[in-house]
Amino acid sequence: MGWRVDNDLQQMLRESAKAHLSANGGPAHFRAVRAHGHGFDAAAWKAMAELGWTGILLTEAQGGSELGLEPALTLAEELGQALSPEPFVASAVIAATLLAAAQGGAAQALARALAAGETSITVAWQEARGSIGLGPLETVLHQGRLNGRKLFVPAWHDSTALLVAAREGDDIAIVSIDPATPGMVLETRVMTDGSHEASLVFNAIAVADTAIILRGREARAALERALANGTLALCAKLDGLTTRLWHMTADYLRQRVQFDQPIADFQAVRHRMVDLYSGIELAAASWRAGLKDIEAGQSASLALHAAKARCSDVALEMGRWAIQYHGAFGYTEEADVGLYLNSALRWASWLGNAAAHRRAALHIHGQPEHQA
Amino acid sequence: MMQDLNLLSDDAFRASWRSWLETHYPSEWRRPITLRLRGEQEHRWLGMLFQHGWRAPAWPKQHGGLGLSFAKQLIYHQELEQYGAARFLDSGGVLLGPILIKYGTPAQQATYLPPILRGEEIWCQGYSEPGSGSDLASLRTTAILDGDHFVVNGSKIWTTMVKESSRMFLLVRTNKEAKKQAGISFLVMDMDTPGVTVRPIVNLAGEDEFGQVFFDNARIPRENLIHELNAGWTVAKTLLGTERITNGAPTLSRQSFEILEALTAALDLADDTGIADRRAALLCDLHDLTALHAQVSDAVVRGEAEDTALGLMKVLASELFQRISEEILRIAQEDAGAVAPTDVGGVDADLHKIFMIARPPSIYAGANEVQRNIVARIVLGSASR
Repeated sequence: MGWRVDNDLQQMLRESAKAHLSANGGPAHFRAVRAHGHGFDAAAWKAMAELGWTGILLTEAQGGSELGLEPALTLAEELGQALSPEPFVASAVIAATLLAAAQGGAAQALARALAAGETSITVAWQEARGSIGLGPLETVLHQGRLNGRKLFVPAWHDSTALLVAAREGDDIAIVSIDPATPGMVLETRVMTDGSHEASLVFNAIAVADTAIILRGREARAALERALANGTLALCAKLDGLTTRLWHMTADYLRQRVQFDQPIADFQAVRHRMVDLYSGIELAAASWRAGLKDIEAGQSASLALHAAKARCSDVALEMGRWAIQYHGAFGYTEEADVGLYLNSALRWASWLGNAAAHRRAALHIHGQPEHQA
Repeated sequence: MMQDLNLLSDDAFRASWRSWLETHYPSEWRRPITLRLRGEQEHRWLGMLFQHGWRAPAWPKQHGGLGLSFAKQLIYHQELEQYGAARFLDSGGVLLGPILIKYGTPAQQATYLPPILRGEEIWCQGYSEPGSGSDLASLRTTAILDGDHFVVNGSKIWTTMVKESSRMFLLVRTNKEAKKQAGISFLVMDMDTPGVTVRPIVNLAGEDEFGQVFFDNARIPRENLIHELNAGWTVAKTLLGTERITNGAPTLSRQSFEILEALTAALDLADDTGIADRRAALLCDLHDLTALHAQVSDAVVRGEAEDTALGLMKVLASELFQRISEEILRIAQEDAGAVAPTDVGGVDADLHKIFMIARPPSIYAGANEVQRNIVARIVLGSASR
């Protein structure tokens, strides 16, 4: 761990997560989820709920523990190490951040179901390729009807609940929509991390007032916070994945003998592994700096953008070198390293890829109030 | 007479130091990166610090230092950086002082420490030799005891500020039979010792800051031995406080990035997408290095920093400074070929010097290749042969 220090709560959560996920996560679990083709394993999700993970950001009244973002990120790191396809980021972080800010019966019912692991919840906000954060919305809620189109809706599952961000007048509203509602056109596709993603079209879907869980400035603020929290959690998950993959690769390099020596002895390999290691150090420091900004209430944070850029790039780079260093075996379906690279491809590109986040960081840097 | 700086809150300490700089720092020295104080400038600067009670932040109080907490030492350096102060080497205060405090006899401390504090004596470091760079322990300058003196023969090179220094601390071989590190001793000496000659060397930044020193039967008194005979390797590894992480600090990267930003604006290049992508990458690199440096600094305060993190940051910081210096020349186009400070879109910039000053950080204090080897040994284990 070195400079990384857990407080007592984080340490407890990390140990409990390691214990649980060593038996219920990792490559075997990932392969099983992919083979079943549901995006994630509902039983595994339920088990995470029983450990309190799905309610970590929900209020106590909602059945959650309100432990906060920092311990949630500890879990995200461990879930990344375990390659978990379960929707911790999409549901337990992004949706839960919205629900924790919401009042009303519909929100409380959803929150309780999430805390209990009876359902997952996905949030549909994105409408354009490559958008970061909350862009302009063309999905409109007007006179009780929802019209529009959502792309890249994460963590789709047959039994998921759905929250949709829509423009309402000059502001926005978050509405709960039953995915089985007539008039909603659903297309799904399978992603490289085993999860499923949806695109949705809403054709004049009726929305009762009671289904509006947040509206106005509160809704916008909560959604911005939710996306920032989710981005940070995804960073931590990428960090966990990369760390695990570095160690898997190092272990392999030490035991693989060619030219009468472990290939870990070759200096070209050693220096590359040091550079990958330093990339992980930077990634881990970067998202912790992002956490400080977000805890201080900044959802537009240079640190957050730098973190997602770094964590994404480092994961992909580690993934590519893990394949290279495992040689031909690394290129087989049978080798576990490919599962990590595949998950990295998805996690690095979701919620803004590295290039997009670097641009966003430069944009913030260029704003007058940011100049020293 | 001086207030106890450690009793101030961090904010009050910062404000107090900043205010002193604003009042006393010579404005002609506010040239970060390109100016390093030399000779009379360095004497004056260190003397000013001493007179006003700001000298030797890491030294313990009983030896005349400020005895600052690690957190306050960081603030001390941060404020110097943010004020745009010139670089200064202060080998006596930074490198030798901690060694004498740890290993020197009371007599050695009484002789050497006060003139360092007062800025009267500039010291240089005699470690590298023509045949011993990264492999420092292979050094061959010999010191043979002859009565009350060591007789020294050989040569030291890349000795920074050698012309300005009145004294040198050096590593010499006192036992040729022992294994490399075990036969080395640590000596101090006067530069005007008979048999010692100096040849200045001009570097690629156009400065003659360093040089080569030759020893031809130079006689150095036996009492100039620091710590025990053949214990020099251990002695040389001593560093105090923030100096452990100085080489990994993002100072030069941040200051050069500010120059890049100024030139980008002056040349009206902010909307060039190719340049924007590279600036964005450098900005994020700078952010992440700063974040890592802050985290590792906190760990140093707690006494939990790992050598891996310190070595990696030296590599990261030096290579980022180099990438930024390269980008500065790239956007300056034809001006990159000018030898002297030049007007770049209305900004006076010494592009060549910035670029060349960025070269040695990946070479000194353990070449980056050696740093990578060291870190690899820790994280991957020793190579089996």
